[in-house]
Amino acid sequence: MKAKRLAELGLLTAAALIIFIIESFIPYPFPVPGIKLGLANIITVYAVYRYRAYEAAAVLLVRILLGAIFGGNLYALVYSLAGGFLCIAGMLLLKKVIDEKHLWLASIFGAVLHNTGQIIAAVILLGTPAILAYYPFLIVSGCLSGAFTGLCAQIVVNRVNSGQ
Amino acid sequence: MKIKILIIIAAAIFALGIVGSILVLNAPEKDTAVIKRDNKILYTIDLKTAEDKVFDIKYKDSKNTVEIKDGKIRVKDAECPDKVCVKTGWLSSSAVPIVCLPNHLVIEFASEGEIDALAG
Repeated sequence: MKAKRLAELGLLTAAALIIFIIESFIPYPFPVPGIKLGLANIITVYAVYRYRAYEAAAVLLVRILLGAIFGGNLYALVYSLAGGFLCIAGMLLLKKVIDEKHLWLASIFGAVLHNTGQIIAAVILLGTPAILAYYPFLIVSGCLSGAFTGLCAQIVVNRVNSGQ
Repeated sequence: MKIKILIIIAAAIFALGIVGSILVLNAPEKDTAVIKRDNKILYTIDLKTAEDKVFDIKYKDSKNTVEIKDGKIRVKDAECPDKVCVKTGWLSSSAVPIVCLPNHLVIEFASEGEIDALAG
């Protein structure tokens, strides 16, 4: 890997980490765990579309690990990993069908897949399917936040394109 | 063309999510609540006859303070970062349990099988 590319990926990871940590200070009034904007997803979507698959996955993995350590929320790590894995796997596949002009759509699917991964992890960890009752709320929140972060990523991609 | 199909799928998922949310919120209340950890029942409470009280449930170094009042149950306070269980408020839907992920605690209305087990 060239030094320039490595530096870019490091920059993306750092940006995602900062967004993630700042977002963790926003209190959410919802009584359902997992409902959030997921602003760091902007970077994930951008990386999926502008970098190779393993590079985007590395940015996400490092951000999740460091985010859990810096955020002091290690118990949430399993949920983040499960969600992050499904999310990026899904988006990398969808990238083949969805072009860059519609990456907000890939972001919506990614967000819903992220919530799906979290719910699966919660059902396994807590040993109760009762938590599935949260799933409909997470789907609604995933669609909305996925669309929002996707549109943000869309703006970033457009700006970068017009700057090149 | 593929994009259109995917947009329709996304819209359908969103609509299903909304319908599901409404169904979950309208699930009826029941009289018996159970407090569980890792799918094992710690306490079974008949909310109709239960006296008002506040008690702690410990988990490792952390704890949840549970309150029973006027036949309703909630987590009053918790030693965890997000306090989702506290924000859930009083248990009011048989489909929405009160959940504390860090402390592995679930409070929900008893399902049919659990009520049968109590009766037997």
